[in-house]
Amino acid sequence: MKDVLLLAYRDIKERKARTSLTLLGIAVGIAAVIALMSVGYGFEKSVTGELVEMADLIMILPGKASLGGDYVELGSFNERDLKDIERISGVKEAVAMASSMEEVEYRGEKTVVDIIGIEPREISAVFGDIVKTEEGRGLRENDHKTCQIGHSIAKDYFDEEIEVNDRIKIGGSKFRVVGILEKQGGFKSGIDSEIFVTSGDAKGILGNDDVSQITVRVRNIEEAEEIADKIEERIDENHKLDDFTNAMTMGSAIEQLKTVFALLRAVLIAIASISLIVASIGIMNTMLMSVMERTHEVGIMKAIGAKNRNVLSLFLMESGMVSMVGGVLGCVLGVIGANVVSFVIGAAFGEGISAIVRAEVLLGGIAVAVLVGVLSGLYPARKASKMSPVEAVRYE
Amino acid sequence: MIRAENLSKVYRMGKIEVPALRDVNLEIEKDEFLAIVGSSGSGKSTLLNMLGCLDKPTSGAVFIDDVNTASLSENELAEIRREKIGFIFQQFNLIHSLNALENVSLPMFFAGVGRDERMKRAAELLAKVGLEKRMHHKPSELSGGQQQRVAIARALSNNPEIIIGDEPTGNVDSETGNAIMDILKGLNSEGRTVIVVTHDAEIAAHAHRVKRMKDGRLLEQ
Repeated sequence: MKDVLLLAYRDIKERKARTSLTLLGIAVGIAAVIALMSVGYGFEKSVTGELVEMADLIMILPGKASLGGDYVELGSFNERDLKDIERISGVKEAVAMASSMEEVEYRGEKTVVDIIGIEPREISAVFGDIVKTEEGRGLRENDHKTCQIGHSIAKDYFDEEIEVNDRIKIGGSKFRVVGILEKQGGFKSGIDSEIFVTSGDAKGILGNDDVSQITVRVRNIEEAEEIADKIEERIDENHKLDDFTNAMTMGSAIEQLKTVFALLRAVLIAIASISLIVASIGIMNTMLMSVMERTHEVGIMKAIGAKNRNVLSLFLMESGMVSMVGGVLGCVLGVIGANVVSFVIGAAFGEGISAIVRAEVLLGGIAVAVLVGVLSGLYPARKASKMSPVEAVRYE
Repeated sequence: MIRAENLSKVYRMGKIEVPALRDVNLEIEKDEFLAIVGSSGSGKSTLLNMLGCLDKPTSGAVFIDDVNTASLSENELAEIRREKIGFIFQQFNLIHSLNALENVSLPMFFAGVGRDERMKRAAELLAKVGLEKRMHHKPSELSGGQQQRVAIARALSNNPEIIIGDEPTGNVDSETGNAIMDILKGLNSEGRTVIVVTHDAEIAAHAHRVKRMKDGRLLEQ
């Protein structure tokens, strides 16, 4: 084994330029796969990582919601639904939110914003430490005509930035901004474009006390799915409708997202595989040339007693070695590439994603490289091993 | 030891059939030193390739130690070449990327001999042909006579009973040629069968028996 390696190494060394190019071909292929996978993992982590903090939440919406998509609204919940949910065992807290798109005016400029009405003491119950206030303070129980605004509302929505204590008009009536929330981004970027008011004020703006969303925090994450089912059943019963309620646990949202990311990764790998196929054609070409050039040598080896499999293993070892070195180089390039790509994404979108390089991806990359090398070396190596000794030895 | 029975070989070049060997019968005893002479194209190299299991006859058979080689698989033929036969070629046919020592040890490598033993025996064989000071030289750094001696050492590496030389002195001057024939005679006196093909009557004079070929036939003497 060691000797075949040595022999193969010497043959490779004789043709440095050609071998380096072949090696580079496979390295680029492997690097592309590794870089894309690592960026993909990093992206997945940055999105699902935030969700994991909220794993004990159940979001309850009327109508069939689909993740990230639109949902068909079938109506709204009411106070009775909230009370019923609170009575289900395992529910730690249930918070009602009213929401509505309303016209907002600031210094003569108008736009339409999602207004959320929520009991101030319940904000922390639901969001806990997840959503922090950047400037000013949070909403208070006895606040009247005050609001807390999302980061984008303050900085981007209007020509002039909104400061704490500024006045804005929501649905025609004046509100005082008491606080600006921290930038959320990622999966929670919706919050950046929302304005929060107390439930009391929300009734005034909306003109009714409809509840558009209920958020539940469970005691035990393992029971979340079960509780979600119970909630759906109970509220559907209240409204005498099938499939009226959609209670989605964050856990299942994470699972759904992971499926999406697995699919995304598969697509990325498929794209990167094209470069691997090109690389494997390169190896085959190099090996075919190498076999042809060494026909005479193969003839000599066979004349002095080499069996077909001796010749076969020599050529396979050669292509395996080239592709393994290519694979290792590809890992190095892939890690560098992944960091460059995530840096560029970070610079372009202001959203930092750090690529996650997994050991199994690197090892897999090297394994795939060797496999590609051996498979594409198989045909040339077989061709060499089947040569007739007397003809090969005569070949000059 | 080696027996050729009604050996014929026909090469096909497109639609034309070229007979290279016609019904050759030959028996070579163990310990014998046989020279086959003839002009180029007489079929002597073709006969040698058949006797050395490098090529298969179109009809007839070669028996080595009473085994019909026509019945053997490619792998079994490779084994016979490896264990029983040592080849010496006119063009030396050394592997350029390997040094003298490695070239000599190559047949042992194919036979699965361990590295240390291989290197030890290769060094001994090179010493035997007078190249102990040239062991780490590549073929391109050696003269023709030295390369042929490396080739002889390689032919001996698995200690074969038969040495086959195809114009072994064809590419060296007459002095070196005589030296090489002396080495071959020495191998014959060790008890090995030596078969040499040549067109040089002087070289053939070293042999016990000389057979002449013409137009693919072995002439009766």
